Amino acid sequence: MKLSHALTFASLSDAGLVRNFNEDSVAVDEDLGLVLVADGMGGYKAGDVAAGMATLIVTNELKGKLGDKGAREPVSTDVIRAAVNRANQAIYHAAHNRPQFQGMGTTLVMALFHDDMVTIAHAGDSRAYRLREGRLTQLTVDHSLLQEQLEMGLISTEDARVSHNRNLVTRALGVNQKIVVDVKQERALPGDLYLLCTDGLNDMVDDADIELAMESLQENLPLLVKQLVIMANDNGGHDNISVAAIRVDRPFPARRGLWARIFPRLWNR
Amino acid sequence: MAKLVLSLNGTVLGNYFLEKDRFVIGRRASCDIQITDQGVSKEHAVILTVGNDQILEDLKSTNGTLVNGRRVSRHILQNGDVIEVGRYKIKYINQKALPDMDFDKTLLIPAFDRSRLKEVGIDLEAQTGLQVETAVATARAVKSVFPLGAVRLLSGAEAGREIELLRPITPFGRPGNRAIISRRPHGYFVTHVSGRRLPVVNGRTIGSEPHPLDNLDQLEIDGEKLQFFLK
Repeated sequence: MKLSHALTFASLSDAGLVRNFNEDSVAVDEDLGLVLVADGMGGYKAGDVAAGMATLIVTNELKGKLGDKGAREPVSTDVIRAAVNRANQAIYHAAHNRPQFQGMGTTLVMALFHDDMVTIAHAGDSRAYRLREGRLTQLTVDHSLLQEQLEMGLISTEDARVSHNRNLVTRALGVNQKIVVDVKQERALPGDLYLLCTDGLNDMVDDADIELAMESLQENLPLLVKQLVIMANDNGGHDNISVAAIRVDRPFPARRGLWARIFPRLWNR
Repeated sequence: MAKLVLSLNGTVLGNYFLEKDRFVIGRRASCDIQITDQGVSKEHAVILTVGNDQILEDLKSTNGTLVNGRRVSRHILQNGDVIEVGRYKIKYINQKALPDMDFDKTLLIPAFDRSRLKEVGIDLEAQTGLQVETAVATARAVKSVFPLGAVRLLSGAEAGREIELLRPITPFGRPGNRAIISRRPHGYFVTHVSGRRLPVVNGRTIGSEPHPLDNLDQLEIDGEKLQFFLK
């Protein structure tokens, strides 16, 4: 099963209404089953450089490791961590060696679909959501001061709406020589709808409305991503908005080698 | 920098800048604002600075701490908030702390030093992975000056039923043959989502683009007839 036959993709990135410059980056590689969303920051208008480097380098690293056609077998989380770390180092060095890139960094959230599984990795406050059987679940935990305040019990979830810390992230690519990436692997089921987004969406649109849009428009992903951007802009559009949606249409077991197909038990031993 | 203005019965007694991350209000001489009044506890309340937030915390004071007339145990201060400690009022002034928030660019900050909280006796039992709604309070409802719209079902089992179009999207039809009516700040739109049967407005089939709705438009979605109207 080719991945592009089992999955449907759509993505959109918009500067929003307040900024005239888009520092987000979105990348989709349908053959690889890979989607990345990054929210760049800092430097003299160099946030877009950091975000672009992150999506490009991780894509290339994974292509090198998995081949153009995607993974032949389950992908280890180490492969993902290594790819994100390569991107982190490249951004870090660019930021430290070139004055015009000084201080740049980026968040990253990515989803890699392989062998009926999805691997979600992230650093920063860009998010992954999943709609399954009509219910929306947030798959990532923000690396943000707001999240820390909540987890420490300093503020309540109700207070989160009036906090002034929503724009402060505690983890980003390009800031330190090494980065800790949160990675999780989950079974991806036919009917699942995944959404990756920058905070320009979830700071402007309630989870309940994101769920409503995903539920109502799951049959038309180009319209879904457009509608989400419209909703963020209708609510103020204070930040760049990037969204990528991935729908699982059918199972996508890995293409095993000939011997593995003939002697599956031997192979799995 | 944020400022506190202390007053009693409308007379300003002093101005204080929140220069410390932990700023204590109370009767004790060691407090950053000392109020020598029996209605004020020795250590009555503390203001913690965490990133851009200044969080007021009542230190289990005898008479409690009020913000804008409401008793609080913990509160994120907003510009213009009035804190009451006994008979005294303390106005919080911080142009950056507007409820509509400053949408500054995303910035990186080091993780918060949790050990600092122990000093003020804050329960550090960390809960991880809390799901948090971050949408700003002001962005919640569709900010619309446009009148509320609704549809009346004209056919089918539920003919006569009225549906208010309160949310940004209301879906119609069934899976495989869907349309939505979206609510935007300047009006309502019907959009085709899926299926070969396109929505019909006043006898005309619409295209794939959102179609603006006028009062009393007659719609047909997935074979059902309905009427759009403004309330």
